[in-house]
Amino acid sequence: MLSPAPRPPAPLPQQVLGAQLVVEALEAAGSEYIFGYPGGAIMPVYDALTGSSLKHILVRHEQAAALAADAYARVTGQAGVCLATSGPGATNLITGIANAFMDSVPMVAITGQVPTTLMGTDAFQEIDTFGLMMPIVKHSFLVRDPADIPHVFAEAFRIATMGRPGPVLIDLPKNVTNGFATRAELPVHQPKAIAFDSDAVAAADALIAAAVKPLLYVGGGVAMARAEDALRRFVARTAIPSVATLKGLGSIPTDDPTFIGMLGMHGSRAANIAVEECDLLICIGARFDDRATGKLASFAPNAKVIHLDADPSEIGKLRRAEVGFAGDIVAALDGFSAQPHVGDWLAHCQGRKRLWAPRYDAPGQGIYAPALLKTLADKAGDGAIFTCDVGLHQMWVAQHCRFSRPQAHLTSGGLGTMGYGVPAGIGALLAEPDATVITVSGDGSFMMNIQELATLRRYRLPLKIVLIDNSQLGMVRQWQELFFEENFSEIDLSDNPAFSEVAHAFGIEAFTIDCRDEVAGGIARLLGTGGPILMHVRIDPRENVWPLVPPNSPNVEMLEKRW
Amino acid sequence: MNARLDVDFVPAEGAMLRILGLIERRGYRIHELTLSERPQRSSSLSMLIEARDAGRQPDIVARQVGNLFDVSSVTLSPSQPSARP
Repeated sequence: MLSPAPRPPAPLPQQVLGAQLVVEALEAAGSEYIFGYPGGAIMPVYDALTGSSLKHILVRHEQAAALAADAYARVTGQAGVCLATSGPGATNLITGIANAFMDSVPMVAITGQVPTTLMGTDAFQEIDTFGLMMPIVKHSFLVRDPADIPHVFAEAFRIATMGRPGPVLIDLPKNVTNGFATRAELPVHQPKAIAFDSDAVAAADALIAAAVKPLLYVGGGVAMARAEDALRRFVARTAIPSVATLKGLGSIPTDDPTFIGMLGMHGSRAANIAVEECDLLICIGARFDDRATGKLASFAPNAKVIHLDADPSEIGKLRRAEVGFAGDIVAALDGFSAQPHVGDWLAHCQGRKRLWAPRYDAPGQGIYAPALLKTLADKAGDGAIFTCDVGLHQMWVAQHCRFSRPQAHLTSGGLGTMGYGVPAGIGALLAEPDATVITVSGDGSFMMNIQELATLRRYRLPLKIVLIDNSQLGMVRQWQELFFEENFSEIDLSDNPAFSEVAHAFGIEAFTIDCRDEVAGGIARLLGTGGPILMHVRIDPRENVWPLVPPNSPNVEMLEKRW
Repeated sequence: MNARLDVDFVPAEGAMLRILGLIERRGYRIHELTLSERPQRSSSLSMLIEARDAGRQPDIVARQVGNLFDVSSVTLSPSQPSARP
């Protein structure tokens, strides 16, 4: 049912419809793709979309619009745009917006709203979107006058992308998009250049020069700041070894000899021990998240800290920094000139990395997912983009795939959103149509946004889906096994549908493999198929992800695989 | 730990809720709140905040408030004993 659309008043000469101003503002911001789903209160905007240069992607659930916009933004570096109607449309966007907020992804989310005269009356499809989203957006606007649309949109894009990026909400009442206003010139904002304190640069250089065991702790902020080239220049100059968070993977290529591995709860032993032993930790675009640090009081116990971040409130939030830099990571990294002597320390870390390298010789004939993913990543090559969902498979991707750039690994880090993988694959494919884009999903996660197979089919997006099916909520099962005395509560998904048949019903090519001999052929078929395809992989439900640091434990107390 | 937070801000739609909500969500109680209108479309909030646990640092929440786009300045100072009868 649609809310009644009042007939707009006749425009004055030179006046333009508010909805048209919305479309023009999106075009002016450089948006190419926007992701959305129409409904009553946003219909004037959809009406104005016709004939515009914007390419609208009609998803099948608003959550997928926000998640696809999130991935599009991570790959392009531009703000992703999603739109939905008021009420349930807006609430369905919330998970995707929260996902962008937690991972500092630039996004502009547009929601229709009931007319201002009805706001606060419990009108049909009315919800306080502005109030609901306040904790999960960087900023929000409720537009009450169509004349405000151009500058509100310009400001929204500026806020979403500047400094620490994040989502911005624009709530548009229907009488505003149906109203008229005169076009106006937009003010031009000059971004402020942030000059670093030369004393801080000198202090950091002194710490770097004096360090015997310095270590880089690389987070997702490097990719968001497009600072990976500066980081690689710094590493090339200094040969300081590095570890990365889940979101920092790819900022330094996985195969780089100075890269030791992912740290944290499911990080590598070599990486976590390097953090334990280092005497200087240079934290770049990371925030000492608990999944990375484990028990915070035991994290990098011997290290002084240099912290670089776009957000000044992150400096010293969880760990005191001897030197902190808030602002441009590129300028900070390029500003350092110290040349430490780290040859022995680097060789020590590399030796540990070799010693504790993952094993892929699992016993039996069942498919060992880490081995499959390693083979898949090797075959897919450096240009491939992996998106994943949340669960065991997410950690296996992080541990066993290769990433040559941070945009090659799209994952829901902060919020841990099951259902991220397929919409993220859609966003990534639109951002880089020539890339091989692979979504690795689990059977629990896949069902969260399975309807987006229809979107793949509609736009003929050649997403390659690897569905790792253990017929369980695997990560929950692992925690119940280890920390809840094997009381397996509500993790059984053995009544999953026949995924290949479901994919076929959506018009997607699909096949199933369930033994080791089929892996090579399956990967070849997956990578060799031109259109969207799903490879359904059945694995042993008892398989866990290792290593694992128990909650509230130091990162050196890792539980390891038992074969 | 108690501290006094003085926040100058542009009273845009939702600005005061954004400030107060952020402070409460970050683990602080708000006491003795005073709102003052200022010239030039500016407002000022003065409040006594109290951390809900000892691990929270008021200077961090002050910087987080400072990140908000409606906020033009934040001043953090040690709290004075209130002159209650």
